Amino acid sequence: MRLTLKIFRYDPNTSAGPHYDRFQVEADPNDRVLDLLEAVRGDQDDTLSFRRSCAHGVCGSDAMRINGLNALACKVLVKDLNSDTIQIEPLLGLRVEKDLIVDMEPFFAHYRSILPYLINDEPLPEDGKERLQSEAERERFDDTTKCILCAACTTSCPSFWADGQTIGPAAIVNAHRFIFDSRDRGRLKRLKILAGQAGVWRCRTAFNCTEACPRDIHITRAIAEVKQEILKHS
Amino acid sequence: MQLPDAIKEKPGRNYETIAWKWMRYSALLLIPLVWGHVLLQDILVGVHRIDLNYVALRWASLGWRIYDVLLLGFAFAHGVNGLRQVALDYIHNPRARRGVEWGLLIFWLLITGIGAAAIIGGVSALPE
Repeated sequence: MRLTLKIFRYDPNTSAGPHYDRFQVEADPNDRVLDLLEAVRGDQDDTLSFRRSCAHGVCGSDAMRINGLNALACKVLVKDLNSDTIQIEPLLGLRVEKDLIVDMEPFFAHYRSILPYLINDEPLPEDGKERLQSEAERERFDDTTKCILCAACTTSCPSFWADGQTIGPAAIVNAHRFIFDSRDRGRLKRLKILAGQAGVWRCRTAFNCTEACPRDIHITRAIAEVKQEILKHS
Repeated sequence: MQLPDAIKEKPGRNYETIAWKWMRYSALLLIPLVWGHVLLQDILVGVHRIDLNYVALRWASLGWRIYDVLLLGFAFAHGVNGLRQVALDYIHNPRARRGVEWGLLIFWLLITGIGAAAIIGGVSALPE
């Protein structure tokens, strides 16, 4: 099948402002959008810039807007788009550096702000090895361990679009992962951060994040659980 | 490894948490208050039959005055807090945000004050 790719282009080193370029490509219905981008870069325009690493939905580097919806280019199949023209744009809400590459630093700054690491200064168990937890305790935060920090959720959040200071769903998901970890002792500190003006109360339950997540994390539910936890401690 | 002083710190009562709770609780109360108001004023009585005599009759009862004070207090504060949330989406400068928040508070106090004065002061029916 023959497809048209309408791709957002921007190069700060040229005088051409942001614009769209169209490319005709031959595609198989089972091709992924990433395959098409590679075909364009390989055969038609080697200046096209986009991020990719593993190409199997694990590293999270190729999140972009495909026909208006955030997704990983390596997980979207051509046949599922039901369209002869595929529009590919960079993630919204972050500064475009070149073509489909955005500046991820504000996103990672929000991630770092919620202390995304185990906090526990209690003495180690007697055997000096692991801090054990039951299956049920592990299950409590299992869903939010799946995050790959691709930013598809945060850049689909209307509150984040409106105000980049909003901490965003990905940071809340990663806070949830530690807040509900029975081994962690930093829960109250994280809840205090998330109760602030840029935190969970900026969530308007639009559910965009849940739809955008390529890992199918129940993000809006995780945010609601963090809200409940803050209410419990306030 | 240096660990943050994490263990005893509580989220505590912060302004945003209180504002969020306020929106939920006031919305719950607004459901019976607003529907009661719409049913009585707009359907049973009808807006064209509301005049000073009707208001005087209504406010002769302390119960209706309390009802109206509650409606004014909850509905207006709920709406103004909603406006504040919308404003925070568009105004990012901290000083401008503070200005808007104070402006909205003064606006709320002013309108609530005028409304409360009317409800508490009441009206006298016009002479026939």
